[in-house]
Amino acid sequence: MTTTTRLYLLLLAMSLGWLACDKAGDIQQSAATTQGKGGSTARFAIAGQYLYTVDTKKLTTYQLSNPANPVITNVQDVGFEIETIFPFGDKLFIGSTSVVHIFSLANPAQPAKLSEAISPTVLRRCDPVVAKDTVAFATLRSNAECGGVQSILAVYDIKNILKPQQRVAVPLQAPFGLGYADTVLYVCDAGGLQLFNIKNAYNPRLLTSLSETHGRFLDVVPYGQLLFCWTTRGAIVYDISNPAVPRQLSVI
Amino acid sequence: MVCAMAIAGCQTDTEPTPPPGTAFVPVYAAATQLHSIGFEGARPTVNAGKIYVYGTLLLQNELNEGIHLIDMRNPAAPAKLGFLKIPLCTELAVSNGYLYTNNYDDLLVYNLQASGGPALVKRIEKVFPPANQEYPPLFGVSFECPDPSKGVVVRWEQKSNVVARCRR
Repeated sequence: MTTTTRLYLLLLAMSLGWLACDKAGDIQQSAATTQGKGGSTARFAIAGQYLYTVDTKKLTTYQLSNPANPVITNVQDVGFEIETIFPFGDKLFIGSTSVVHIFSLANPAQPAKLSEAISPTVLRRCDPVVAKDTVAFATLRSNAECGGVQSILAVYDIKNILKPQQRVAVPLQAPFGLGYADTVLYVCDAGGLQLFNIKNAYNPRLLTSLSETHGRFLDVVPYGQLLFCWTTRGAIVYDISNPAVPRQLSVI
Repeated sequence: MVCAMAIAGCQTDTEPTPPPGTAFVPVYAAATQLHSIGFEGARPTVNAGKIYVYGTLLLQNELNEGIHLIDMRNPAAPAKLGFLKIPLCTELAVSNGYLYTNNYDDLLVYNLQASGGPALVKRIEKVFPPANQEYPPLFGVSFECPDPSKGVVVRWEQKSNVVARCRR
């Protein structure tokens, strides 16, 4: 290494260090809001004053009344191969490779299992799930990793939360995460991001498909007028002030 | 039955070596630098992980390496603010200005509003069991027997041309 290179690296290290300190204020400012949101493939989820985490078998509840010092209030076995957790209202939807488990948060410190949504269409799959009103949407991915033979978007009637019924199965290629804004459902699929009109939830109509420009779409976080997409190469941000017509703002 | 199969899954070396074929192999990460964490300058996204949106802050996991903190005050011009280096980090959520994430099987809590940058305020050990260390999350599959001396198993990948001595 030449002296010049060494000096350059030293300066670079200094500037990075300086940059990091200087950015603390920006982080403080950006983090000043209190409402956060993750994707449908998350294993950590916040609901109210609680953090819920799922590992392959267990659901763990942390009370966050002192946010710097989470306190475990409950640990329970959920089932096999738990993959995802999605809070909705006073419910938790937990996706696994075999069923969607639905928990009540009537006592948020101790989630209580209400029911399981089972798809008659496929036997093994990976299950990110989101819920809207009295309907739950799940992508059931069947591939080498998850087993099974067919991938679908499943729509469950959860009016009777104790007896979820699969009402619709829309064939997909190899779906991952999903999310919705207003009456548009965004589904990450192999080949692109599929937009469905879900005004009539039990008759999802394909509106359009956004092609892959930054790797595969893996999950989405609709957040106000913005849609954040996790892709294999990073992230894409869209303006969804018109949810049916996303306008790309930036790529990360 | 299933458990018994899993336990008895590994054949001994005295049995004939199976022919190479498609099977699952463990992907390892060295556990030696597990606690080497810190707040560093922004870096390029290489293996993009999960995202979390909090106000005008976007957090994106760099798979098994840490978390990018991205300023989205102008969503048309995102600006990376820095990188939280956290080995074997895969999950993230934010509430009340605090980040909850995992450092392998430990839960970490960061105060994102600390004046000197994100500050680690709490570590709860061994609460988030990672990928199964013994076998892939499927039944009826062949897999390469894991070797704990190579590190911890962070995930299982399907590969062709593998000599798989284990089965469940």
